[in-house]
Amino acid sequence: MATTTADMGSGRSATKQLNADRPTRTAAFEKRLAKRYRAERIFKLMGQAAIVFSVAVLIFLLGNMLINGIGGFQRAELTVPIDFPASGVSGDEVSLSAPSAIQTLEMQGLPDITEFYAEEALGPEGAAQVSDDAWRDVAAALMAEPGMIERTQVFNLPASSDLAAGLAGEGSPEMQALAQQLVSEGKLAENWDLGFMWRSDATSPQQVGIWGALKGSILTMIVTLLLAFPIGVLAALYLEEYAPKNRWTDLIEVSINNLAAVPSIIFGLLGLAVFLAIFPNFRSAPLIGGMTLALMTMPVIVISGRNAIKAVPPSIRDGALAVGASPVQVVFHHVLPLALPGMLTGTIIGMARALGETAPLLMIGMRAFVATPPDSFTSPATVLPVQIFLWSDEIDRGFVERTSAAIIVLLLFLLLMNGLAIYLRNKFEKTW
Amino acid sequence: MTVIHENMEDADAKMKARSVSVYYGEKKAIDDVSIDIAPDYVTAFIGPSGCGKSTFLRCFNRMNDTISLARVTGNIELEGENILDDTMDVVQLRARVGMVFQKPNPFPKSIYENIAYGPKIHGLAEKKADLDAVVEKSLTRAGLWAEVKDRLDDSGTALSGGQQQRLCIARAIAVDPEVILMDEPASALDPIATAKIEELIDELSGRYAIVIVTHSMQQAARVSQRTAFFHLGKMVEYGPTSDIFTNPIEERTKDYITGRYG
Repeated sequence: MATTTADMGSGRSATKQLNADRPTRTAAFEKRLAKRYRAERIFKLMGQAAIVFSVAVLIFLLGNMLINGIGGFQRAELTVPIDFPASGVSGDEVSLSAPSAIQTLEMQGLPDITEFYAEEALGPEGAAQVSDDAWRDVAAALMAEPGMIERTQVFNLPASSDLAAGLAGEGSPEMQALAQQLVSEGKLAENWDLGFMWRSDATSPQQVGIWGALKGSILTMIVTLLLAFPIGVLAALYLEEYAPKNRWTDLIEVSINNLAAVPSIIFGLLGLAVFLAIFPNFRSAPLIGGMTLALMTMPVIVISGRNAIKAVPPSIRDGALAVGASPVQVVFHHVLPLALPGMLTGTIIGMARALGETAPLLMIGMRAFVATPPDSFTSPATVLPVQIFLWSDEIDRGFVERTSAAIIVLLLFLLLMNGLAIYLRNKFEKTW
Repeated sequence: MTVIHENMEDADAKMKARSVSVYYGEKKAIDDVSIDIAPDYVTAFIGPSGCGKSTFLRCFNRMNDTISLARVTGNIELEGENILDDTMDVVQLRARVGMVFQKPNPFPKSIYENIAYGPKIHGLAEKKADLDAVVEKSLTRAGLWAEVKDRLDDSGTALSGGQQQRLCIARAIAVDPEVILMDEPASALDPIATAKIEELIDELSGRYAIVIVTHSMQQAARVSQRTAFFHLGKMVEYGPTSDIFTNPIEERTKDYITGRYG
């Protein structure tokens, strides 16, 4: 026992001697090691700096948009009480609820009545700065609540854009003075304008709303989704699972990849030359817009769909085939459910791109001035990004804030869609 | 040259391969192999990596169809019917000849769904009660029922590796096939799970003709009654397992089982 220990001891001291000479124990090695750590620290620092920079830019962008846009959700309003019993306007629950009530009210002289009470409340100078279409707000309120006709009702009527500019401290000195005077009398104020969400385009920034464009966007997106998703998914499935690998399928693959990279305005030209030639009556319609955007979105869905299908492990296919599933059953029972999260993510990314697209829609006439929200897929409409583009082109200062507000609505819509994408992906995602 | 021991040709063999060759493009992966698979035995294919034993196994339920490059020539008969014929219905063939793979590949669905899938697509169980019975019977035969009967709704992928493989075996026997092909079914498992799989193969033999590919000679010796040794795409020797391991005729077989290469 003792001799064994001694033997091992001598062996150990020899190893110790050997270890001291190993290249990983020299001072030079330690120096190199320190250098490697330093390189790693520098790389990490650079990465962090890049992230901080991009987050800062993003915060600046969103913050700036938000500060500008908040004003877009408000408008300058003048307080005007209208004494309906004395005004001579007549009507009851039934007639005021009819869709034609606005014409009846116009014939009864509601525009003049509104002007009269405005003059009474604000004086001639103030009344001149009530927005021209203000009586429509009065009519809308009456139609929404016919009981009003039996009492005096106080209305907040939109001010003219000149007065609104005066209130904001811009515009002519006279307007600024008038605005100050009216504010001090408690007759002019910057109010939250919920109507912005429910009105449509108008000539005055005081009267515009986003609903027409938002609804146009929603209708267009529905058409795009209904066309691009099934066609894209089926094309991806066929190309991945059935198509033989030959020169023709290679050609199709290259074409689809190229199609995804084609500038969007080209698709607009295609929509103009093909779709509008076939359906000349549907100019500016969400149907044509959706078809054009579907062309643009489909290659994105095909590419992401094929990648999602490729990511399904072959062992799952083998397992299904080995119990006797037919190729169609393998695809629809196993491959498609597993590829669906990836396909949905790709689809929603494609849809988000389509939602923000302006250029191709300009080509097919969706830049028209549309003052009423579209009531079908074939009625004239515009969409959010085009609306933003149109407002940003307006001369009136009031449109600057409205443009920012519209951008906020568009961003919220996008955020909602991306949130949906993440939710769907997590819901359908499976591990194997 | 192929050496086939006496009494290996069987008049009522379950499957008969005759002059089967498999090509991957220009490359010949299997060269002129003929073999009879007995109905009541476990047949093992052994050989070094890349000898083509898995490729040959995949001919028996035409899984090579999924590889566009692969081309199979020759004849394989399942009870007198040539399965390589164009008129053979592949879906029906695979219902009759089941397969278990090297890596456990349960569907990312519930344990119940994994087993019920085969009977469902073939319409073998009409009512829910019938399906329940098939699921229980298959899991019991695969020795998994006691472990999973309280969590049939859990995902099949949540089981341990050994349990997953037994689930795959249960999935294969749920459609009551005549032949089960096993492609290195225990190579991804630990020794205890491997022992359970081997035990299971033993219990299943007799009811099903079983063909197992393995790179473990001990495993072949433990579970099989007949062994075929493959080398470089050729079947070198085929005979009773005991003879192959104790008294091989071919020099190459002797070298392989004594561990000289492989």
